[in-house]
This record gives sequence, structure tokens and C-alpha cells, in this order.
Amino acid sequence: MRKIFLIAKRDYLASIQTKAFLFGLIVAPLLFGSGFIGVAIMKGKPDIKERHIAIIDRTGVAAASIVESAQRTNREDLYEKGTRKQIMPVYSFEVPTPAGSPEAQRLALSERVRAHELFAFIEIGPNALHPAESDAKDRESDVFWYSNEGGVGEGRRWLSGPVSDGIRRVRLAQLGVDPSHLNETLKAVELQSMKLLSKDPKSGAIVTGGKKDDLAGFFVPFSLALLLFMIVMTTSGPMLPAIAEDKMQRVFEMLLASATAFELIAGKVLAAVGRSLTSSVVYIGIALLSLNAMALLGYAPVELLPWFVAYMVAEVTMLCAMAAALGAACGSPQDAQSLAVVLFAPVLIPIMMLTPIVQQPNGTLALVMSLVPPFTPILMMTRQASPGGVPLWQPVVGLVGVALATAGISWVAARIFRVGILMQGKPPSVAELVRWAVRG
Amino acid sequence: MSAIQIRGVTKSFASVVAVNDLSLDIPAGSIYGFIGPNGSGKTTTMRMIVGISHPDSGSIQVFGREMAGSSPIGVAGYLPEERGLYRKMTVRALLEFHGELRSGRSVAPDVDAWLRRLNLADWADKKVETLSKGMTQKVQFIAAIVAEPKLVILDEPFTGLDPVSSEAIREAILELRSRGTTVVLSTHDMNTAEALCDSIFMIFQGRKVLDGTLAEIQDLYGNDTIRVKAEGGAAAMAGLPGVESVHDLGQIQEIRMGRGCDPQDALRELIGRTRVWEFSIAKPSLHDIFIRIAGPAGQMAAKVEAQNA
Repeated sequence: MRKIFLIAKRDYLASIQTKAFLFGLIVAPLLFGSGFIGVAIMKGKPDIKERHIAIIDRTGVAAASIVESAQRTNREDLYEKGTRKQIMPVYSFEVPTPAGSPEAQRLALSERVRAHELFAFIEIGPNALHPAESDAKDRESDVFWYSNEGGVGEGRRWLSGPVSDGIRRVRLAQLGVDPSHLNETLKAVELQSMKLLSKDPKSGAIVTGGKKDDLAGFFVPFSLALLLFMIVMTTSGPMLPAIAEDKMQRVFEMLLASATAFELIAGKVLAAVGRSLTSSVVYIGIALLSLNAMALLGYAPVELLPWFVAYMVAEVTMLCAMAAALGAACGSPQDAQSLAVVLFAPVLIPIMMLTPIVQQPNGTLALVMSLVPPFTPILMMTRQASPGGVPLWQPVVGLVGVALATAGISWVAARIFRVGILMQGKPPSVAELVRWAVRG
Repeated sequence: MSAIQIRGVTKSFASVVAVNDLSLDIPAGSIYGFIGPNGSGKTTTMRMIVGISHPDSGSIQVFGREMAGSSPIGVAGYLPEERGLYRKMTVRALLEFHGELRSGRSVAPDVDAWLRRLNLADWADKKVETLSKGMTQKVQFIAAIVAEPKLVILDEPFTGLDPVSSEAIREAILELRSRGTTVVLSTHDMNTAEALCDSIFMIFQGRKVLDGTLAEIQDLYGNDTIRVKAEGGAAAMAGLPGVESVHDLGQIQEIRMGRGCDPQDALRELIGRTRVWEFSIAKPSLHDIFIRIAGPAGQMAAKVEAQNA
């Protein structure tokens, strides 16, 4: 153990004094945080420039109702409640007469959109009021939106409500419904998300969960997963090129006369764990201070901190052991770059799966994937942080699996490391790596 | 007492047999020189003694303890042939790290003493990456010995050193022996091996071909070498009776007599041809013996022997 600690101490001190580590300690949270900050800034400064829309109405009766609905909704949504600050653009409309040549008219309006005279134009198809009469193929093509917006444009998203509302009003009027009942009839219904109820184990009383905070349900698990990802990447990431470079510099042969391959790897992994703990103290500290400043400290899942640390240590250990084996197998720094994808797969794959896991934290996919050892730390952490959490046996089983996998990977890595670290020249084949792992 | 006892050790890499059925005893407190052409198995043997590589078969005992498994005993200070140190560390921090890793104690006073001795005191707080190649080699030499190991393995310790640094390292090695340290070193400089080593071991194509003191080795090859200095140099010696080969050293020539041939016949013929200033019968030099074994003729003989085996 003495040698392991000595190697760990040297590696830890050497790595935390590098500009790269200090840079990463500051820049990584800034980069990740800048996304949230950017959204907050954008939210604080919405685009309120007036948007002029043309509506070609081929039904002949829908445009007026749509314009009225849009202007009413626009007036209601235009200002933030309380502050009276304008938070969305004013929409204005023109209704050109449908021309004999639809294509020519669409082209002319398109040119006006390109010239920024119009924000967009809408074409109401002749069958929009009676979609049942349309061919099935055209059912979704009764109303068209022409604009320069992106795929998930905010203008189209906002106007789809008033357009739908305006057309429904015309349909109902044509069915003879009293116009005075239309506002109540067409009022949208929203599903309020609620927490599940539970029973107090001591008193037996039913405990109501109250309203579920959608922001917390998404933001907290997502943030924890990203924080774990960021720490693991910034502390394990440098291990592979560092081992490869030390191999190229041939520093290991002398060390192997004083310490075993296992002691060398264990020392290096311990140093990486130390780096990750240092980073986590800084990152979590920054996160808690930021939440406190925004009066959102209540969102911090402090009770998950021990799990977070356990997952982080396990993931860093696993990745660093893999990095040591892969680094020892490298024949050049370029090999290390190529192998980085293999090394980071255990953290990149769960990050790519994060959205469906956050949406369905207790689905079969989430359960199965979170019990696959390399993916457990990030995915189980995400699930535990989701509203409702997971049964205790799941993180326990997951962590045991990660511990066993980490031990196995470390054992194999030490065997590959011992043989590979003294090899020079062309990198080994997969078959050779397997032979090293088996024979040591 | 043997510091190192090697018995029937064989080590292969894929289809290449690097060390073949090697047995060797290295006495404690001696300087043992490993010689042999490049790729003959010196470094592989040294790595197995240190414990960073393991034999496929056979056994190695260091101070009576078997080298087994993946655990190095840690009694050997090792200077590898391939030089490599943490380049971003300061010289002092690096040497203290290596010394403490091996011995488990602080070696700070010893580090300072060795730095002064090898004229590196001014570089103690500089980063390793700022050192010249020769300085780096001296630092690595200190790293190998600063923990005062009982056994020191030095793979080509003089390569790339200027004469002053070489002399400093040579003196340090002699001092280690005087303290009772066993020193195993490899070298391509036959003069160094002759002058410095108590015993010499030569490995060629993975097999032991020489093992003993210089005198014992020379005795094996008899008094068949004549050193001659004569007018006309090597050209004057062509076709002398009984001469098997002429090795032109420039100002002097070494001629080797064939088996059963009388050097007096050659001398008589040579005096008839030219003016002779020196003519002495000598034992073959280590260099000459090396060439006989590992030169083209020796390689051919080894090939024939291998085919017949």
C-alpha cells in the first residue's frame, strides 16, 4: 500500500499542478453552465420584434376567425404577469385574396418573406373546415406554414394554437353552436402533474405528495448526470494519453523494478480518484452556491450525494484501469487518440440515452440499461434523481455490479499493462491483447 | 555466495528464443559484465533478474529468493537501456521519489550527496526536461543507486557519456563494489569490460558462450595472438606462414596463428620482408574474442551448429 500511495501522491500532485487541470476545473463548468446561462439570457431577452403574417384563405371564411383568435391570444400573452414586461412579439396580419395561380402567389409571398416584409405566410386549404372530406393522404395538409424559421420554430408553435382555435370556431358556428358558449367550450385543459401518494411507515397515515415540479423532474436528474459525466471525463480523460506518452518516454521500465504493475496502476487510479474528488468538491460547491444565489437550494438532491460519490469513484476507477491497459497497448500518441472512443463509450452511451431515460425513468429500458455495469453510474444516478426515485435494491445491485466489473477490469488491465508497457513498435492485435490478459 | 543464481532459464517472444537454457552464478560483491551483440539477450536477462519480465522456464534466485509471479523483489536498483524519466519533475523531487519508492525511507541527504558528486548540484531544482542527454543519464544512474540497493543492474551505463562523466560513473561503480554491492552491467566497450569487471559473461543468440574472469576466458583461447608493429603495416604481413588472420588496428596489427603453427616461422619471414619494431606473443583481447564469436565467421559456425543440433 505504501508504494501505491507514493505513486498516487506523485501523480496527483503532478496532475493538479498542470495548466490543463486548472483550466478544466474552471472552464468545464463554465462551458456546461454557459448552456443554462445562455437559455436564461435568451429567456430574459425574448425577440419582441413585430411579426407580420399573411394568410391566404382558400375556405373564404376562416381567416377572420383566425386573425381574431390570434390577436386575442397575442394580447393575453404579450406581457409577463406582474412585471408587465413584453415577453413576445406583436403579431399583425394581412389577408390577401387568393389568386388564380396559387404557385405564383406563393412565390410572390415567399419573396416578401425573404425580403423580411413578412415573417411568414399561412395557406388555409379549401378542405380545412371539413377535413373528413379530404383524401386520407392529404389529411395533414389542410393548413400550410411558409417561413424561414428553423424546424422547431417558435412562431409556428405559437400560431398553431390560434389557427386551430379560429378554424374550430368557424366549424362550430357552421354547426349552429351559440357563439357565446364558444370560449368555454374551447378552453384548453391542462394535466397537472402530481406526486404519488405514500403511507407513513410509523403512523400509517396517507402522505400526499402534492404538485410535481416539472422543472425539478427534468432539471435535477439531467444536471446530476451531466455533472457526473463532466467530472469523469475531465479526470479520467487525460489518463490514456498520459500513459501512452509515459510509455513513449519509457518511464515505466525503471518504475517496474521498484513496484509491481498492479501497484503502478492502482497508484495512478487512486490519483485519478483524488482528482475527481477535488473536481467534485469544486463543482458541487459552485453548483450549491449558484442554486443558493438563485433561491433554488431546495432543488439540490443532497441525500443523493453519497451515491454520487460512490458512482463517481467506481466510474473513474473503471475508466482509468481501462485507460492504463489501452495506454500500455498504444504504439504512438495517435493510437491513444483513436482508442479514446473505446475508452469513453461507457460514459458517452448513457449520455446519448439520457433523454428517454429522464422521460421514462422507471421503464424497462431504463431499468435494464442502468443495471449494465459500465452504464450504471450515470443512468442509475439519473433514475435515482428522477421524481419518485427507484427501489433501494436497484442502486445496491447496480453498485455491486459496478464494483465487480471494476475489479475484473482492473485485474485484466494490470496483466495487459505489465506486458504491453515494455512493448515498442506496432500496437498489438486484439488477439494479442487477449493473450496478454489470459497469460499475464 | 551467489547474489544471483540462474538455472536453465529460457525466454521466448513469439517464435524468437531470446534466452535459451541459461545458467549463471553471479557472486555477491562483484562487478559482472554482460557482453554480446545487439539482440543477443542481455537486456532480456537483466529484466528477468530485476523481475519485470519472467522466464518461460527455469528459475532465478536473487540473494536466495526465488523471482516468481509478478512481484519484483525490489532489491535491485535498475538502470534500463532505454532512458526515461518524468520530464516535468525537478531533478531532486524525481530522485527522492525513486529512492523512497524503492527503500520506503526518505533519501533526501543521499540525493544531495550524489548530485554534488556527479556535478549536478546546480541542476537539482531544474526540471528533467531541461537537462542534456548525458545529464539525464547521470540522473537516472543516481535514481538506480540512491536507495543503496544490494544489487545494481546497469544496462549500458556508459553509452552517450563524455569521458569525464564516464569516469565519474566508473568511480561510482567501483565505490559501490567496495561497499559490498553486487553490480551487473552490460557494455559494448570491451576495454571497459576488461578494465572494470571482475567476471565477464557473454551471451550470443540467446546462449551463454563465455563466463568467467578475463584471465579464464583468455586462457580458453590460448597464446595464439601476436601483436606486431612493422614497416608497411598490414600489407607487409600478407601471406605469412601459419597466419590465420590479420586484424589491422592502424599503428599496430594483431595476427592470429593457425592451430599448431610456430610464430617463429612467421617472424623469420616478416624480418626478411620488412623492418620489425615490435613483436610480442599475447593472449587475445576481449575485443578479439568477441569478434571471433560474434563476427561473420562465428555467426556462420553458430548457424552450422544450430543446423546440426
